[in-house]
Order: sequence, then structure tokens, then C-alpha cells
Amino acid sequence: MSLSLFFQILINGIMMGGTYALVASGLTLTLGVIKVFNFAQGHFLMLAAFATYAIVVALGLPYWVAVIVSFCGMALLGMLIYFGIIARTLRHGFFNSMLATVFLATIIEQGSVVTFASQTRTLPVVVKGTAKLGEVTAPYSRLLVIGISLVVLIALHFFMRRKVGKAMLAAAENSDVASLMGINPNRVFWMTMAVGCGLSGIAGAIVAPVYGAYSSMGSVIFSRALLVLMVGGMGSMSGALAGAFLIGILESFAFQFLGYWNLLVVLVLVGVLMYFRPGGLLGKPMPLPGE
Amino acid sequence: MSKIKPAVLAVVALVAITLPLYATPYMLQIATTTACFAMLGLAFGLGMRVGLPRLDIAAWWGVGGYATAVLMEHGVSFWLTIPAGGLISVIISFLVFSLALPRGMVAFFVFSMVIAMAFSQVFGSLSFLGGWGGITGVPSPTIFSFAFDTQNRIYYLGLLFVVVTIAVYLAFYHSRIGRAWDAITSSPRLAGSVGVDVVRYRMVNILVGSFFIAAAGSFYVIHYHAAIPSVFSFTAGVNTIAYLFIGGFTHSLAGPILGAFIVTFIPEYLQFAQTLRPIIIAAVVIFILMFLPAGLLGVWDNKIKPRLAARPPERRE
Repeated sequence: MSLSLFFQILINGIMMGGTYALVASGLTLTLGVIKVFNFAQGHFLMLAAFATYAIVVALGLPYWVAVIVSFCGMALLGMLIYFGIIARTLRHGFFNSMLATVFLATIIEQGSVVTFASQTRTLPVVVKGTAKLGEVTAPYSRLLVIGISLVVLIALHFFMRRKVGKAMLAAAENSDVASLMGINPNRVFWMTMAVGCGLSGIAGAIVAPVYGAYSSMGSVIFSRALLVLMVGGMGSMSGALAGAFLIGILESFAFQFLGYWNLLVVLVLVGVLMYFRPGGLLGKPMPLPGE
Repeated sequence: MSKIKPAVLAVVALVAITLPLYATPYMLQIATTTACFAMLGLAFGLGMRVGLPRLDIAAWWGVGGYATAVLMEHGVSFWLTIPAGGLISVIISFLVFSLALPRGMVAFFVFSMVIAMAFSQVFGSLSFLGGWGGITGVPSPTIFSFAFDTQNRIYYLGLLFVVVTIAVYLAFYHSRIGRAWDAITSSPRLAGSVGVDVVRYRMVNILVGSFFIAAAGSFYVIHYHAAIPSVFSFTAGVNTIAYLFIGGFTHSLAGPILGAFIVTFIPEYLQFAQTLRPIIIAAVVIFILMFLPAGLLGVWDNKIKPRLAARPPERRE
């Protein structure tokens, strides 16, 4: 394998890893803090991709407007869904809220099939041209995806260190005790939901120019986010980051050699990893309902 | 666990047996599909008896279905393909879940989810399983030159499958194993502390469930004469878990059957909106989850039954 091909695959892998990291950290945050397994996490990405398409192609507005609108729109939608559905099902237990998000995902996916007739909408490339460094080339559009996802992940890291982020972590640890310490769990929960869905929104906005927007992209990304959660540990933020880049790079290299069997290879490797590190790679996972 | 009264049971049995007399062929076909889905829902209810939410239903459903389709292509009798498919799914689920079960509920939950996704991928990718087009033209099963080739016969076969499933589950629920399961449901830790081997009893439960899910897959394939990978998708499996929650969470036998009936039967009358149908079902399910958390049988238990049995209130000082 030539050096340029190796770096091309690596950059692809990092790009996918960045996207997975955004979705998976949203998923792991809502799972850890609210104790909701949000099956619609990937579908928010799909909605955001369509929103980006609408803004860039139909309205003709610049791309950065689409990124901001996707983030804010999905955050708002996440908040509404928290108050409308999740808060009302959560009090009946973990499974009720999980099932509610499963069927919410069905509604979103089927709704987009009805509206967009299950065909891929392609978007214009945001930045043209390729970066060259000796033999190694990388298109700017893919580097942009990597750049935005890294910036957002770093911003998320600092956000979690602020007061609100600490309140989230406290509520994740024990929401009853957190409320005794003056943290309003309900407020923390809707904010968590908004941040989690907003992360998916950004992810959707940045992958849309590369992959286009199509109805099933939500479930595709969600299945990868699940693998990331298995690798990184349920409810662990740093684990989600490590897992996302690992899965992204692994998948991209496996695709080069095995084509569409790549997912199975990744699955087997994840299974082997789970045998040796059942709690995931890194970090201490947040406490979860169940046992 | 609450019990269903014998009178209700008799009415349901009577309606189920006499259905071919007055149902249209189309209705009968849906009823047969309901029988298959009810078996899947029952298996989910079985898993919930030990506190394990199975999202892997689609995987074993497909394994059973493909085992029947492939083996019948090679001239094997349908009745032998049921244990064959069941055995394959039991072996694979044993291998996989011996990894996940000791790690607790959440690990199991995610493992089962990933397995379902992986299997639908495998079914579509393998060329001897017909690729994404699947296997079509599966023949009808026969027994001593009696062929199950009409809709009525297939319907009764489906009914038999459901009855056998319920009988086996009931036998388990009332055995020593079932009592251990009940102990695990109320608290895995407490059950472990009094000497119940939680992982082993859970494993028994999962393997029994896997076998009957595969049997449901076999039946589904001879009902539709085809095994198509998109049918055994992850979402299809997840939809089956709604049956228990719609029907009633505390009824692990009657709940899934009622739920499967409602989810499969009633939307057939929403013919005016084919593409909107999944959206309407999903909205109804979310509504039930929000406002009727105990399911429809839960409404009966908690709201209607106490009123029917209205006795003069006892005064306690």
C-alpha cells in the first residue's frame, strides 16, 4: 500500500471518527445523565442533514448559517422532545422512555421517507481543492469536517468543566442527591437533551456535503454509535471519543480490504475487546439503571 | 402476575378457532401473521421475566427462517427444519451471550442490539442465502401427503405454534426454573444472595426464547413462502417488543398476544394512508407509553376490574 493511499484512508477514518464522536458523545451524555437510551440520536443527524440541504441548496444561504441553524434547531427539538415525550415516559421507567425514542425514530425516518421519497440529496462542496504535502493529498472538504468536529469536541470538553457541565455530571451520579445540593434535575435534563441533540445536529450539518442527505443515514450512524459505546464504555465521555476514532479508522481500513464485510470485521473485533475489557476502553462509565 | 379468567380465555379460544368460518382470506392471512408476531412478543415477555430486554429477536427469527428456507430447498422436511433452525440459534446465542450475560443487563442490552444489526447484514451479504433478494418459492409443508397449502390450514398451523409456545412457557413458569426466574425479576442481587445462579438461569431463559423465536421464523417463511433479509431487520425486531408494552407489562403471556393483535390487525384498516401507517402506529405506541404505562391490560387491572368488583368500602380505623 502506497503512502498516499494509507493517508487517504486514515483521513477518511478520522473524518468518520469525528462524526461518530459527535453522535456518540450525545448518546452517552443522555444515557449517563438522564438515563435515557435515545434511539433517535442518529435520526437527529439525518434531520440536520436535510436541514442543511434545505438551507444551502433551496435557500441559497452560506454554509456556516446551516451549521448554526442545525445546531440550534436540533437543540430546540431535543428540548421539546424532552418535555413532550421523555419526561412523561421516564417516570414510568427506563424501558418506557427507551421504547418511546424507538418509535420517535420510526416517525422521523418514515416522515423523511414520505417527504423526501428516499432518494439521496447531494450538496455542493463547501471548500474546493486539495491539500498537498509531498505525496500525501487530502481534500479540503474532508479536512473541514475533521476541523469542525474537533473544535466542537474541544468546546464540549470545556462546557463539561463549567458549572452546567458539572451539574450534569452530578445529576448523572445521583439525581436525588444532586437535587439536595440545589441542582434542579429537570433543568439539567432538558439541557442535556438539548446539548446531545445539538451535537447530532452539528454532525449532520458537517457530513451532509460529503455524503449527501438520505433517509436511512440516521440508522447507519446510530449503529456505529452503538459500537462506539461498547468500545468506549456506556456513559463514558472520554471513552466515546477514543472509541469513535478507533471505530472510524478501523472501519475505513477494513473497507479498503474487505468492502462491505468491514462492519462484520469491526463487530468481531469489538466482541473480542468486550471479552477482555467488558467495561470499555477508557474512563469510568457513569452509573446506569438496571442491575 | 395477574391471571386471565377462564371465561375470557374460552371466548378468545372460540373466536380463534372459528375465525376461518367468517373471516375473509385477507383477514385470515393477517391473523396468521399475528400468530407469528405473537410468538416473537411472547419470547420478549419471556426475556423480561428475568429482567433482560431482548433486542436480538430479529436475528434468531431470521436464523430460523433461513434455516427452513435453505433446508427445504434441499428437500428436507419442514418438521425437521424447525429443530435445526432452533438448534443453530440456540448454539449461536449461547456462544454470544456467555460473553455478555455475566456483564449485567446493560451489556446484554447492547450486545443483543448489535447482534440483530449484524445478522441482518449477514443475511443480505451471503450469496447462498440469496443476497438482498432473499429466497423465494419456499414450498408448503406436508405431513403424510396432507399439505398445509391453503390459508385455513396455515392459519391453524400458526395457532398450533402459538399454543405449543404458550404451553411450554407455562410449564417453565410453573417449574422450579420459573420460580428462580421470578426471584431474579424482583431483584437479581437478592436472588443471587439466596443461592440462585443468576447468570445460569438467565442463560436458560435466553436459550428457550431463542429456540421459539427461530420456530416463529420457520413458520413465517412457510407462511409467506419467502425469506427476505429486509423482513428480519433490526427495526422489525424492535417493533415486536412494543407488543408487550401495548398489551400489558405485567402479563407476560396475554400482553404480547393482545399487543401483536392490535399492532398487526388494526392498521390494516388504515388503508387510506399506506405510507403514513408506520407513523400512525408509532404515534399510538408513544401515546400508550406516555399515558397508559401499564398497557391495555393494565387499564383493565387497575381501572375497570376494581369497579366491577365494587364492594362496599371497608372501614378500617
